[in-house]
Amino acid sequence: MTSQKRDPAGLPADLRERVLEASLRARAPGRALPSPPEISPVEGLGRAADAFYGLLCALDDADWARPALRGLDVQGLVGHLTGVEEDVHRCLAGNAAVAEADHVESTQPAAARQAGRPPARTRAEWRRAADHTLQLVRTADLDGEVAMHGIRLPLGALLVARAFELWVHDNDIRKAVGLPPSVPDSSTLRLMTELAAGLLPGAAARTGLGTHTSLRLVLTGPGGGTWDLILGGGPPGRVAVTIVTDAVGFCRLVGNRITPAELDPYITGDEGRAAAVLAAASALALD
Amino acid sequence: MSAVAGRRKPRRPPRSAPGGLPRRPAHCRLAGAAASVRGVGGSDTLLAARLAAGDDHALAEIFDLLAPAVYGGARRVLGNDAAAQDVVQDVFVQLWSHPGRFDPAAGSLRSYLIVLARHRAVDVLRSELRRLARQERSYRLTGDQPTRSAAEEAMAAEAADVVRDAVRALPESQRQVVELAYFRGLSCREVAQEVGIPEGTAKSRLRLALARLEAVLDRELLGSS
Repeated sequence: MTSQKRDPAGLPADLRERVLEASLRARAPGRALPSPPEISPVEGLGRAADAFYGLLCALDDADWARPALRGLDVQGLVGHLTGVEEDVHRCLAGNAAVAEADHVESTQPAAARQAGRPPARTRAEWRRAADHTLQLVRTADLDGEVAMHGIRLPLGALLVARAFELWVHDNDIRKAVGLPPSVPDSSTLRLMTELAAGLLPGAAARTGLGTHTSLRLVLTGPGGGTWDLILGGGPPGRVAVTIVTDAVGFCRLVGNRITPAELDPYITGDEGRAAAVLAAASALALD
Repeated sequence: MSAVAGRRKPRRPPRSAPGGLPRRPAHCRLAGAAASVRGVGGSDTLLAARLAAGDDHALAEIFDLLAPAVYGGARRVLGNDAAAQDVVQDVFVQLWSHPGRFDPAAGSLRSYLIVLARHRAVDVLRSELRRLARQERSYRLTGDQPTRSAAEEAMAAEAADVVRDAVRALPESQRQVVELAYFRGLSCREVAQEVGIPEGTAKSRLRLALARLEAVLDRELLGSS
């Protein structure tokens, strides 16, 4: 009988390290399983646009007049989205004024001009605008930086943000007309969670998350994943926080459509810092 | 925000060791013991969701909580430290590589891992029995004495006892053909001549005997863990 060293749990001393290393060799951490098929940001925006158009086609005339958001009825909200697409067109054409334009104010004329129009016209105008965006970006450099509505980011990320906004307003309309909420397909959702996680450090800096925080963000369910993020400044490793929540819920928080309390995440580490991180996430929403 | 902050008692997250693996906390607790994510449910469900999301800290937490039971179960079947460690590694690599195979609705994570370990240990034992049988046959044919470690000798002796008891429990007609075919090394034709039965009958008795032995051995080996 060999006298092998044991750890406090009675296991051979090196077994834990050996097993965990073998596991991580078999599957790298971070990536969710099952892994959704990867799609491009253009495809993600195309899918979100199709889903949104499908919803608009299912509405009856009375639905278009229901209050939806910020004093806009459903028709006005669709007009706002047409205005956003028109700003994307200007942005891609190099119009510098769009870079710092306010997301709501800039699109107000497009929302207002829908009043009194037949819903089918509003719907067709939005579809044309969205299709034009998709046509413009199909051969564009998705890594090239663009600036619009006070945000500077690669074009690919802007397209995912557009898909994100379409999904958020899709759900605003669903709520207004009494339909159940929708969930993006897992490939599009994965693009959205990647974007939200990637933007979180910047949002944390803007909302004043001072001390250095090591965040492990675990988003469960289809489209989820695990991210290790460094937020704030100061000496590294001072505060560690783990937030576990479902991917769709986190996206609703990022869209500022639910509160952290409604999200009901599982948290380990510094509670106050976790609350600040969640507040920063919800501050990513433009409207 | 305060609703989040006041919701649960915070637990110390695992700190990263060099190489990115979390170290074992001083007092290991299941991270999701009293917690859930909306729509995710209880602790095993939360752990399964974290594994699926690629959270390797969840794997480390599960190891700290359940590896002693997995290791103990494998060791009871195999009676051998090194082989039991291999089983523990296989079980956790499988859990991490295929988290979707664990269904929290079908039973606890603890039960799932222990059953997985037993099955894997029985597979190892079966394969070891086959290897020893091949070695034995080769010895009979060539006269070369097989070299075995002390652990192999112990395993072989233990396995031989189990097999002998199982053969003894067979009906007389089946026991006779098994002993002739496997312990005396006769071919099916020779067994048939020795017993005075058609060759087809000898084959059929052998098949029945092997099926019965398989079932008995599975029960014995699984039951011993």
